[in-house]
Amino acid sequence: MTSLSDRPPVITTPRPSASQAASPTARRRTAQAIVKLQRVNKTYANGAIALKDVNLSINRGDFLFITGPSGAGKSTLLKLLYGAERPTSGNVMVHDHNLAQLRGDRLSLLRRRIGVVFQDYKLIPRRTVSENIAFVLWAQGCSRKEIHRRLLPTLRLVGLQDKGDCFPDELSGGEQQRVSIARAIIGTPPVLLADEPTGNLDFDNSWQVIKILKKLNDMGVTIIITTHDEHLVRMSNHPVVQIRNGHLITVV
Amino acid sequence: MLKLFTKSDYLLRETFLGLKRGGWMNWAAISTVTVLLFLFGISLQASWQLEGLLNQFGSQLEISVFLKSGVQAATLEPMLQQMPNVTDVSSIPKEVAWENLVKDMGIADIRGATEQLNGNPLVDEMKVKASGSDHVVALAQQIGQMQGVDEVLYVDEAVRRIAQLNRGLSWVSLWVVSILTLTAIAVITTTIRLIVMARRREIEVMQLVGATAAWIYLPFIFQGIAFGIVGALVSWGMIVGLQEFVGSLLAEQADFIQFVAQGLSLGADKALLLPLALLALGSSVGLMGSLLAVRRFALR
Repeated sequence: MTSLSDRPPVITTPRPSASQAASPTARRRTAQAIVKLQRVNKTYANGAIALKDVNLSINRGDFLFITGPSGAGKSTLLKLLYGAERPTSGNVMVHDHNLAQLRGDRLSLLRRRIGVVFQDYKLIPRRTVSENIAFVLWAQGCSRKEIHRRLLPTLRLVGLQDKGDCFPDELSGGEQQRVSIARAIIGTPPVLLADEPTGNLDFDNSWQVIKILKKLNDMGVTIIITTHDEHLVRMSNHPVVQIRNGHLITVV
Repeated sequence: MLKLFTKSDYLLRETFLGLKRGGWMNWAAISTVTVLLFLFGISLQASWQLEGLLNQFGSQLEISVFLKSGVQAATLEPMLQQMPNVTDVSSIPKEVAWENLVKDMGIADIRGATEQLNGNPLVDEMKVKASGSDHVVALAQQIGQMQGVDEVLYVDEAVRRIAQLNRGLSWVSLWVVSILTLTAIAVITTTIRLIVMARRREIEVMQLVGATAAWIYLPFIFQGIAFGIVGALVSWGMIVGLQEFVGSLLAEQADFIQFVAQGLSLGADKALLLPLALLALGSSVGLMGSLLAVRRFALR
């Protein structure tokens, strides 16, 4: 791991020509940035500084790990990307929309093209697995037929085709996290953000989650995942950036 | 079209789910609305009944002026029109009045009846409308002293008292209904807000997966309107039941009381207007309450 803190923290993800040229994801990659952060600062209302002058560009089809100790600003970075927080200054561009300015229904419409997976799954306890997943499509106003059509392939993708009628508390943590991944992808978003998706899971379950994310990446989904599990990062062999005290640092 | 159907399907399902989860809070909201609408309906009906009663006595603002025989209405009309507090003057020539009277009495042969009485026995009559009931007495006295005026008639004190009572009742019921409306809105707001709080996680997820604010909050607004509509139906049922009960009591009473009660019964248009008014007030109270409840969340 090489810290590049002596350089100004202007970071872009490794170009395909660099270390990743041979990987299958790299070949599909176009130069088009799907996520872009420009000179982003985020200071919370209580004065806590989460991000300092962060620059980051992620291309379509990338698989990027964001690591760093807890409290470093990983979650804040993802929250900026799905519009749960606004930057204090700078631009956050996703799908060519500036999230710093997007509000109301236009933010809602953009969020339909961003899938999010959470560490605590955020499943609705009183709804079954199928309902939890279909919830996304209901929320977007899809027809029953369309929901039915998409549900089973999505369940199969995460290996839960037999658990559709279970309630979340009847599932293991790993299964719940896979439900939450299914929910994030059923709307077929081009970008998937995963905030510590393996944080509550043992290694086997974590690795299963990573495998599903890799599969999605092979299907063309851009994956951005935060984790503090170095072992997992090393095993999965994908580009990594690190956040330390609000600064972004590239790690190869 | 299909999309609209899909949407209403979802919204109604969510509304129903919300009501199912509301439990006892639904009861609190509906019963408050019911009490409000019951009182509103009763007072509305009472004021309609009093109004009908008053209309039987003729307008309280109208003064009938009977002229001496031989005096033409046209000579007095300009003078009356110039008097203060007079809004309208109309004259009924004795020929017209006679014709109407003969017709009312069921006599077919007008000429024969006129000849029998040595000509038209009536005099010209004028109707003078006062601008307010306070001016009626003074105006009548003034007109009575004018030349060519034989007699002045106006609705007497007792009827004016009933009119005052009606107005008083209207004020009281307006106040009671306003205060209860605020109460009902507050209860509905609290109910809906509690339900929103209970489903905060779901709402958070909906926001994160890109549901628009209208999509998230419409079921709650429908829920508030549902409270109002159910309250309206229940209160209407109570009012109808009360009417039936009073009607059955009156049926055993003396003929005179039955006669008065008949004067109090409402026409078909009012009988239809009452449930519509209840529904309108109920659903707008529900709408207001739920809008207030979700406004704070939706604006974030």
